[in-house]
Amino acid sequence: MLDRELVAEVLTAARRKGGDFAEVFVEERSSTSIRLDDAKVEELTTGLDRGAGVRVAQGTTYGYAYSNRLDRDALLEAAAAASAALRGEAPGRVVDLTDRFGPGTNHAERAAGSVPAADKVAWLRDVDDVARSTSDEVVQVTGIYFDSLQRRLIAASDGRWIDEERPRIRLVAQVVAKRGDVIQTGWDGPAACAGVEFLDAHPPHVTAGRAARRAVTMLDSIPAPAGEMAVVVANGCGGVLFHEAVGHPLEADAVDKEASVYRGRVGERCASELIDGVDDATIANGWGSYDFDDEGEPSQRTELFREGVLQGFLQDRLRAAKMGVQPTGNGRRESYAHPPIVRMTNTNILPGSEDPDEVIRSTDRGVYVRGLGGGQVNPATGDFVFGVSEGYLIEHGEVTTPVRGANLIGRAIEVMSSVDAVGSDFETWEGVCGKDGQGAPVGSGSPTLRIARITVGGTGA
Amino acid sequence: MPDLGALVHSALEAAQEGEQVEAYAEEGRQTEVSALRGEVEGMQFAEARGLGVRVIRDGRLGYAWAADPSADEAQETVWRARDNAALAEPDEHNVLPAPEPFTPMPEIYRGESAAVSADDKVRMALDLERYTVSRDPRVTKVDLAQVGDAVARIAIASTTGVDVEFARTDAYVVVVTLAVEGEETQTGFSYAITRGLDTLTWEPVAEEAVDRAVGMLGASKPPTAKVPVILDPFAASSFLGVLAGALNAENVLKGRSLFADMAGQAVGSSVFTLVDDGRRLDGPGACPFDGEGVASGRTELFTAGTLNGFLHDTYTAHRTGDGQRSTGNAKRGGYRSAPGVGTSNFFVDAGDLSFDELLAKADGGVLIRDVSGVHSGANPISGEFSVGATGLRIDGGSTAEPLREMTIASTIREMLKGVAGVGNDLRFFSSVGTPSILIGEMTLAGV
Repeated sequence: MLDRELVAEVLTAARRKGGDFAEVFVEERSSTSIRLDDAKVEELTTGLDRGAGVRVAQGTTYGYAYSNRLDRDALLEAAAAASAALRGEAPGRVVDLTDRFGPGTNHAERAAGSVPAADKVAWLRDVDDVARSTSDEVVQVTGIYFDSLQRRLIAASDGRWIDEERPRIRLVAQVVAKRGDVIQTGWDGPAACAGVEFLDAHPPHVTAGRAARRAVTMLDSIPAPAGEMAVVVANGCGGVLFHEAVGHPLEADAVDKEASVYRGRVGERCASELIDGVDDATIANGWGSYDFDDEGEPSQRTELFREGVLQGFLQDRLRAAKMGVQPTGNGRRESYAHPPIVRMTNTNILPGSEDPDEVIRSTDRGVYVRGLGGGQVNPATGDFVFGVSEGYLIEHGEVTTPVRGANLIGRAIEVMSSVDAVGSDFETWEGVCGKDGQGAPVGSGSPTLRIARITVGGTGA
Repeated sequence: MPDLGALVHSALEAAQEGEQVEAYAEEGRQTEVSALRGEVEGMQFAEARGLGVRVIRDGRLGYAWAADPSADEAQETVWRARDNAALAEPDEHNVLPAPEPFTPMPEIYRGESAAVSADDKVRMALDLERYTVSRDPRVTKVDLAQVGDAVARIAIASTTGVDVEFARTDAYVVVVTLAVEGEETQTGFSYAITRGLDTLTWEPVAEEAVDRAVGMLGASKPPTAKVPVILDPFAASSFLGVLAGALNAENVLKGRSLFADMAGQAVGSSVFTLVDDGRRLDGPGACPFDGEGVASGRTELFTAGTLNGFLHDTYTAHRTGDGQRSTGNAKRGGYRSAPGVGTSNFFVDAGDLSFDELLAKADGGVLIRDVSGVHSGANPISGEFSVGATGLRIDGGSTAEPLREMTIASTIREMLKGVAGVGNDLRFFSSVGTPSILIGEMTLAGV
């Protein structure tokens, strides 16, 4: 994208006041999105994005400047602006820029860019047809197809030079069902860093059917109960709980600011001994996977909990250097317009040994969570919420009436410590996580879990 | 680098017979500085520009965009949008607006704010953090202390004759504090937004962020109950996004609004008035025209509880028919997406009750100061919600001990019907605003 000589010149300019390192991030991204709504293909959008950001860092102080002009003048101007954040006087050096190669975590067999747009439109037609044929009570269907190809160049003053491509694909179905005055919605949206072969394994008609079934099922729902009770979280859904309750407070920037409930607790038991948890950016074609993070650190599988004992934090370069540990490859950014921050990738609770059906059978009374709408946490206090989009009552060991309008609320360490059953099944869920104004594609996964006691925030008895 | 007006006009040169073409361009510069532990934590400079093009041909809509295009690339963007249109399905309501007169709003551009130097911003951020951690012995650190400003320019031109440009400036201060007592940590948030850093007083922001964190120390989990609830402006503003979605005419037309078929009805309590006003100058969303060049205006969505109508752009107005006009509510999330219906300054109109009067009417209830998980816990289509909350118990007409780890749940319709009092303390949070609101009863879930 840019020649090495120019990048080296920009890095040298960025180190005019020294600092620990300087870094250039260049990005080109092409994207296609197609939206079907109200039984019509409403809009096709294609975009071409490009830009570059220059960062310099000293300790945990950084300066960042970006432009979407890639000419020499604009890049040198960005280097000068970014370096203004530092107080040092002695310029730093720039090591010869040398390629680093990754294992190809996100190989695309059939690049989305090589597929005619008409085929993509046809997938959305499938979504509409299948969702509407599921039930007469389906009144509205929205289908969204998205693909992008991001090419990134990361070069830094320590000589790293990384050129990596990341393909993304996602197909979302959102269905509205109506019976009398009752309106309910259902959603499904599998995603990966892959080519269109991903849709062979996750066909549009399956996604549409799932979303439609959820919406129609919820028409029979009663208001969720309110108060403390047992909650069984289906496989796939517990990953988001783990992401919110545990993942965010384990991000080293929160730890460094003393804004994490897990600060100073590595080596302590902070969750049930049934909990083994990891953050893993090396999963082939995972929605949160990559070869190198957005600082050019190799991706890895980071153990967070072993039998409930906290193993460590998620790190970027700045925080790792300050804490005297190795980076874990968790420095990510939404685009060239954002400095890297500590983020999760694919965050999973590993499967246990119990039969998931038995976990439900052994629960006398509670709520079964089978669909979720995401969550939010305050890392400093550990207070988190987790929205339930598809829930059911558990009565005498059986899943019975669907419930709506539920939210789970709890405190991270207490809730993770009260997990008393972990199933042998495992499923994943893909979402976009927001932090500091940046969106990051993240995966999460879990087996079936039971939380012995947590507050369910409904309105019913 | 061509100026924005020249850029949109060079794109229009690629328009062909029998099609409508609209070019939207924006450019902006931003600076942001945050301080931590007496040092600069981060300094960010941004400079960006881009173009988005809509092509409508035989009722088919295509969109394409490009970051910082040359004049040639601007024309290529039109070709790509045309290719995209060919694959979309025709919809007779896809039309571009005709030009209409609007009154410029020079007040939203304070050119001199751009003159606040980077060094001054660094000084301001450092002063802000130092002041914040000097207020209370339990607040010795911040999670965030940030100042920033931005200048943006926008130009829109179309083959239907729209040809408009404007500039705006924004400046803001954000503080998130950490209050610690024993093993417990609580956080407090506050922020302020104005047209320029030169007119921004940051001390009250720091003070409020300290007070809100310290006030939560010692919080406990309340019992599950149905109680009166006061939502303070921070908490109440979190629900405005859900209301905006339900009042979006596109959602109404497509059966995705809980207010569909309810225009003209008394949906809310008689003290509830909700307005969208793009010309209100003290709202950060003030703008002379919307994302497709239609003049901004004032739309009263609810008047004393009665639902008057919905927010429209050109498409939804045309599809609704019956003389419906765009309310000037076409919004863009930047040049990367086509316009859709959205809000400008969207606010609950102030009532006449002081905060103390609201407290007196909510005895035995709870003052909610923060809600979480609205994006996942509120369903904008069914109107049901359950969200995490923190706040203070109300006892004998004043606030008492802090509460955490609870949820409040209801439906949007029940909540609007249940509005029992509206405060006189209207406050804007970015482009949404609300005073404190008393709701007669909500389910609070805790122990």
